[in-house]
Amino acid sequence: MQKFSFNRRLVIIIVCLIVSFALMTLSVAIRNKRSTPPLIQQFGNDIVGLADRVVALPANGLKGSVSSVSELLNTYQENQQLKKQVSELAQTKVRDQTLAKENKQLKKEVGLNSSLTDYSAISAAVITRTPSSWQNQVIINKGSSAGVIKNMPVMSGSGLIGRISEVNKTNSKVELITDNNDSANRFAVSITTKSGKTVNGVLSGFNADSGQITMNNITTKAKISKGDKVVTSGLGGVTPKGLYVGKVAKASGDDYGLSTKLYITPATDLSDLNIVTVAVTKQ
Amino acid sequence: MYRLSKLRFGFPIGLFLMLFLDGSISQVFSTHLFRTSATMVSHLVVLWLVCAVLFEDRFDIPVARWAAVAGAVFDLYYTGIFGIEIFIFPLVVYLTRVLVNYISPNFLSGLLIYFIDITLVEALSYLASRMVHLTSMAGSAFLVTTLGPTLALNLALFVVLYFPIRGVYNWLK
Repeated sequence: MQKFSFNRRLVIIIVCLIVSFALMTLSVAIRNKRSTPPLIQQFGNDIVGLADRVVALPANGLKGSVSSVSELLNTYQENQQLKKQVSELAQTKVRDQTLAKENKQLKKEVGLNSSLTDYSAISAAVITRTPSSWQNQVIINKGSSAGVIKNMPVMSGSGLIGRISEVNKTNSKVELITDNNDSANRFAVSITTKSGKTVNGVLSGFNADSGQITMNNITTKAKISKGDKVVTSGLGGVTPKGLYVGKVAKASGDDYGLSTKLYITPATDLSDLNIVTVAVTKQ
Repeated sequence: MYRLSKLRFGFPIGLFLMLFLDGSISQVFSTHLFRTSATMVSHLVVLWLVCAVLFEDRFDIPVARWAAVAGAVFDLYYTGIFGIEIFIFPLVVYLTRVLVNYISPNFLSGLLIYFIDITLVEALSYLASRMVHLTSMAGSAFLVTTLGPTLALNLALFVVLYFPIRGVYNWLK
């Protein structure tokens, strides 16, 4: 009898392991291939998402009030600095408006309806974050009913923070560029160097130790220097052109000395996200 | 006993509250918890499940079943990779049941049991994530940057929340 129960336990463990492997492989395959998860999963996620708001809204509200008190303490200094920046910004904004207007007129004349730089924005609030060390993922409160589609780029503050990895009806998951899995941070970007040359490439990973995005396999002869701005190039896929990614922090030879490897400081603080913007390209 | 007590509704409600609190804590304190040098993950759901086993006495709470439910919700809602926590959470409950047979549960032995449980949760989820290529972290880096800090945070939470949670369970009985 003793032997029988031991055998049965072993069988249960092995069956559980096999089922677990099968489910994991299946869900990864679905995640990679399909634009939305199965209907049942979507439905479940929507319901759980609604229930989660009961807990998440007070928590986020509490955070807002606590941080506003702490921010009050260094408001004076910040105000001084910001005043200076505002006067510069006003000038840039007026020029930007004029250029946008001119651009629109020129496009009309050429007969161009939309180009790679055109996108509209959906703003969303972050509900919660995945409590796991393996996935840097946040859940936002807009889904397919608001027009969010898988793989759309997501921004916060001044720069790119990640891409949509799963879309449900009323909420969706955003994989941050700090996530180091196989697909999270492959964005096509371009860098305009000081001499005016454009270098294209693809982001290749995130260096957790230094908190910088890395970019491998650049074979150009153009000199890339520290401080050059990195923006998305709009090539291949749903990412519009001209989303700000960050600044070049260091350019060095890669491990084999054949190509250049870049380290890019992200434009926004990726650990503190409250409101994000999903960029929707007109297609 | 279980069917007649307040636990019948109180236990699942507490379970889901803890599940959502995990996410909210991760979001609200993300600057402090998810540093690149040390990642701390809060596992309040595991705390709730382990405490259920520690405090249940004669009330036979169906903890393992609810653990599987919480695991399924965790997988679908938080990670999107189905089939990891749905098996780990019931396994933790089973392990705790086995350990409670050998050591009579009190504050200190509970701390010891919880230490083993958290190690199991983190190690198994690390292995699973390695397998499906969610992470490429080396084993030694996992011990230093994730397991250590996570254990520290969760044991601290255990020390702080042990008596309040015991109070809640006593009230629900």
